[in-house]
Amino acid sequence: MSKYALLLAVAAMAQDARQIVEESQKRHRSNSQRYEGVLQVFNPNGKNSEKRWQFSRVGNYGESKALLRFIAPPEVKGVALLIVNHTDRASDQWMWLPELQRDRRVALQDRSTRFFGTDFSYEDLEERDVEQSDFKMLGEETAEGQACWKIESTPRKTRASQYGRVVMWIRKDIYFPVRYEMYVKDQVVRRLHYRKIEKTQGVWSALELNMEDLRRKGRTVLKTEKLQYNVPVKEEMFTLQALRRGE
Amino acid sequence: MKLIKLISWQYARKHKLRSLLTMAGIVLGVAVFVGMHTANQSVMAAFIKTVNRIAGATQLQVTAGEAGFDEEVLERVQAAPGVRVAVPVIEAVVNLNLRSQGNILILAVDLTGDRSLRDYTLEEGEDTVIEDPLVFIAQPDSLMVTREFASANQLAINSKITLDAMDGPRTFTVRGIMQSSGLTSAFGGNLAIMDVYAAQKVFGRGRKFDRIDLAVNKGEPVAAVRARLGQMLGPGFEVDPPSARGKQFEALSSVYGAMANLTSMFALFIGMFIIYNSFAIAVTQRRSEIGILRALGASRGQIQTLFLAESALLGLAGAAAGVLFGLLIARGISASLGEFLGEIYGVAQRADEIASDPKLLLGALAMGVVTSLIAAWIPARGAAQVDPVRALQKGRYQILSAGENRVRRITAFALLGVVVFCLSFTQNRIAFYGGYFLTVIAGLLLVPTVAAWLSRALRPLMKTLAPVEGTLAADSLIQSPRRTSGAVSALALSISLVIALGGMARASYDAINEWMRVAFNPDMFLTATQNITDRSFRFPVSFADAVREAPGVRVVQLVRNGRLRYNGGPVMFVAVEIAKLERESFLPAVEGDSSTMYKRAAAGEGFILSDNFAQLYNVHLGNPLTLNTPNGPLTLPVVGVVRDYSDQKGTVLMDRAVFIKNWNDDSINIVRLYLQRGVTVEATRQWLERQLAGKTRFFIFTNRDLKAYVTKITDQWFGLTYIQLFVAVLVAVLGIINTLTVSITDRRRELGVLQAVGALRHQVRRTIWLEAIAIGVVGLLIGFLFGVVALYYTIEMSARDFAGLRLEYTYPWGMSAALWPVILGAALLAALAPAEQAVRGSLVESLEYE
Amino acid sequence: MVALDTVDLRIDKAEVVSLVGPSGSGKSTLLNLIGGLDRPSSGDVEVDGARLAGVSDDELTRIRRDKIGFIFQFFNLLPTLSCLENVSLPLHLRGWPAAKIADRAKELLTLVKLDKRMEHLPDELSGGERQRVAIARALSVYPPILLADEPTGNLDSSTGAEILDLLRDVHQRLNATVLIVTHDRGVAEACPRRIALKDGRVVKDERG
Repeated sequence: MSKYALLLAVAAMAQDARQIVEESQKRHRSNSQRYEGVLQVFNPNGKNSEKRWQFSRVGNYGESKALLRFIAPPEVKGVALLIVNHTDRASDQWMWLPELQRDRRVALQDRSTRFFGTDFSYEDLEERDVEQSDFKMLGEETAEGQACWKIESTPRKTRASQYGRVVMWIRKDIYFPVRYEMYVKDQVVRRLHYRKIEKTQGVWSALELNMEDLRRKGRTVLKTEKLQYNVPVKEEMFTLQALRRGE
Repeated sequence: MKLIKLISWQYARKHKLRSLLTMAGIVLGVAVFVGMHTANQSVMAAFIKTVNRIAGATQLQVTAGEAGFDEEVLERVQAAPGVRVAVPVIEAVVNLNLRSQGNILILAVDLTGDRSLRDYTLEEGEDTVIEDPLVFIAQPDSLMVTREFASANQLAINSKITLDAMDGPRTFTVRGIMQSSGLTSAFGGNLAIMDVYAAQKVFGRGRKFDRIDLAVNKGEPVAAVRARLGQMLGPGFEVDPPSARGKQFEALSSVYGAMANLTSMFALFIGMFIIYNSFAIAVTQRRSEIGILRALGASRGQIQTLFLAESALLGLAGAAAGVLFGLLIARGISASLGEFLGEIYGVAQRADEIASDPKLLLGALAMGVVTSLIAAWIPARGAAQVDPVRALQKGRYQILSAGENRVRRITAFALLGVVVFCLSFTQNRIAFYGGYFLTVIAGLLLVPTVAAWLSRALRPLMKTLAPVEGTLAADSLIQSPRRTSGAVSALALSISLVIALGGMARASYDAINEWMRVAFNPDMFLTATQNITDRSFRFPVSFADAVREAPGVRVVQLVRNGRLRYNGGPVMFVAVEIAKLERESFLPAVEGDSSTMYKRAAAGEGFILSDNFAQLYNVHLGNPLTLNTPNGPLTLPVVGVVRDYSDQKGTVLMDRAVFIKNWNDDSINIVRLYLQRGVTVEATRQWLERQLAGKTRFFIFTNRDLKAYVTKITDQWFGLTYIQLFVAVLVAVLGIINTLTVSITDRRRELGVLQAVGALRHQVRRTIWLEAIAIGVVGLLIGFLFGVVALYYTIEMSARDFAGLRLEYTYPWGMSAALWPVILGAALLAALAPAEQAVRGSLVESLEYE
Repeated sequence: MVALDTVDLRIDKAEVVSLVGPSGSGKSTLLNLIGGLDRPSSGDVEVDGARLAGVSDDELTRIRRDKIGFIFQFFNLLPTLSCLENVSLPLHLRGWPAAKIADRAKELLTLVKLDKRMEHLPDELSGGERQRVAIARALSVYPPILLADEPTGNLDSSTGAEILDLLRDVHQRLNATVLIVTHDRGVAEACPRRIALKDGRVVKDERG
């Protein structure tokens, strides 16, 4: 790294880390969203699996509601997860199991566990309002071939997250995150890459998410298909009653 | 030590058979003690191991008796400060439909995340256990089994396995195989994990959990969290460390442990007499040897020490043999014990290895030595008092002096006076047991007098039967009370034990039969489990509606029972529609008014207690009884006490409405059906099976099935008693052999003379046989007398401390009669070897023998 | 070591013979062999026409109880039985009817002059009286042979003489063969035939 680059990095720190994150969330805000996800889990033993789900989301970042419902393979068809994000606290999450015809709450204590055998944890599925964390600018770095800000976020309430801190890389040109590294103590335990960043309906979106679990040495790829923004979705879809009806 | 090698060892070598027989009592007593306790401990250890293995990192467990509790409790516990993680659990033992594989323990936990698995298996970085977690929880037929179980049954991922579910046999799919770990060795490896929400459905739990396992935050004291949770949840819940389950199990099997103690104590006690007897004889026989030793300068102390050391060595050798033998039989006992506890308490447990507790074994050794020392104490003192001059003269010293006998008699009567005083003026426990002990001592002190008296009475009879042999046999008894009374005491003690336990068994059978006749009068019983004491499955209340539609059914009674904790003890509750109970199976009140008791209980105004509950917890008519419910403590008065034998730990009977209201639980485990006149059980069975097949899993017991089942359980219970009796009689018979062996040595010259003047060999044999039979007869008669007292104490004991059962005092005449051929036959058997020994050997030597 | 070595001896019916010799000379062994209490390692004994070699124990007992009466140095009475019972013992063992036994026993006790002491226990009698009971017992079936092992050995000399008189009297009445092992020179000399043993051999056999 040249002397100049170093100088530049120091200069960029002048920009407030919180503002960057806030800007990033504001820019890519959409009122509603729907897509079909293809979930590929690559296990360290070489056994892989593929599942599909339909994802709908409504509301602003940090206070949105989301519903994902599996559509394939047949063994898991109909299994659904309802996430209700709150600005001031951890989200509420419920799961629906059609075979048992009942819902179950995903307890807070389970948020750090793996979401349905993927490399995501339940917590990784929630959206967190900026007010829930403190941010710190670590500098500028090239990530995924792009110039980025490197920002560290630390949760304000210790209980709110399994992670001690999260380091994120946000593209300077479009304020879009390309990489997250999640820490437990001083160890990176998960690494999330945003790939295939394209504009859909004028909104920048990552069409492929790649989550690595460094402890278990597994990898999960989520590909987004049929992505639509600002679709007509009703608020009633995102209730426990609707979840139970299997809509 | 040198003396022992020089003197005692030579003597023991010369009298090998007798030394072995002398040890036999100790061997058997210690073997029974070690065997039964080791078995008990092994089953306990296996249970605790299972509990611990299952508990894994669990620090506390929340339960509400067997009734379970609502799901919402979980969220409250999870939200409680200090709780790091709390997982809901349902546990059930299910019969495997696999060839003779027995039961499998199903542990149902929350598999929403992999948290439970990680905490349970305690293996880090393992994630191949479940093929696909999403599929696992999405499909309620998912099961994860242990690697051991999988390989034993040739199961692989996606293999099918059939288990009994609420709605009949259901096929499960293996979707995970657990790596070998602590958990997988729980319950002998027969363990499967499923999702807790699926288990609710499979086992008919509704929206309830059996238990919450939790771990506290790091740095948080467990006790503080326990107290906090206890406060938060209220008295209907118990918050305990996992080890508390072991304690509960222990409480359940405590009666068994007490029984084991009693048997071994009795065997040792009887063994003590044999040792006493042998030493008393040895001291007499070795008088001249003792005299020589004394003449050579041995002090009294040295002589006493010599005999005591000899007895200690004997005790040690016997105890060591007993320990080995005990460990050998422990495996067999533990298998039957595990099954038996499963049948009675519904806590199935497999003990795969024998847990030999060094403390127990050391204790057993010490017990053998101490018993032997106590037994040898008086003879050793006697040896020390041998006068060297008189000892070197020839003569007979067998006869107890009249003075000694008088002292014994006076002491005995004084002791009996104390006992009568104890019994009539105080209910105190120490006085009661002390009284029992003193009665036994008094009885034993009287044995020589009574035995001599009885032998004298027998002499003319025996003389008529066989003039020479009979007379000589009777005389042998009369002349050597010291030799005889030990064997007679041992025999009398074991016969009294037979009478006491047999009498109690008889009384229990009678009482249980009467109770079954009145209380078990429905024509059919429908249960949710194969075994009536197992409560792993329950019916939803809707099941009853389906049953009510059966044609020809007159009355349907819904029963919900289970275990509760009362004052720390596991008691049984039975919730039933009491109004119907009063009409159909009316048990009269032991305490209270039979006519109003049921009405008041039916109105929810009070509890009806079983007799043993009232006895064991000292709660009686009119007293308030407080039960802890999930809604808080429930206090109602006791409106009546009935004789009920459903459970050894006591039963509380309440109206179904009271239970539903206070436990928020309307499930059922047993449905009692009364049929209309003319309707057959078979027709109803067929109708039910046709209508309900595939909908609800149930088992049908006819009235006769259930009675047979109760009888079987009772038989099994008394089966343990019969082992005791067998051991007692065996030890006593060994005592007879011992006495006869000594007798033929003592009478060698006499037997020689007999042969010299023309007795044929069978005539000599016959006199030994007759002597054995005479000992048998005298032992039986004295034993019957002892039995009268022992039965009284046993019945009192069982009422006071074991089962709280009040039993009628009925002397078991039939059993007494049956004992005659048994004991006399055994005595004759005992006489075979000594009699052979008597006719062998040189006549010339025996005539010169002195 | 052998107790008896090539002893060839014949005692005729109704002879009264004394057997003398130092301790260990084999005289008791000889008596025991004749009485069938012991068996020779080789050789044979013939008693009143019955050969003892090769017969079973019970057969030996039958020969003994029908042909031989024993009298021991230490009397060997059964201490728990009365005089009458002691004398009755061999008869009971032969299965005689009770009335006949009582008659015979009383008759014999009268013969030994103990008719006044029939119900006494041996411990209550003097040494001489005890030996007389033992003699009565030995005579109970009127055996053709009477074997006495030191019958006076445990008695003072005057009592010993009485016992010897009694034996002589019995011999005359019953015409029995009597063999007496004794240390007492007087007793030995009183017998018509005297045999002496030493180291298991007959060293003297004289009559008259």
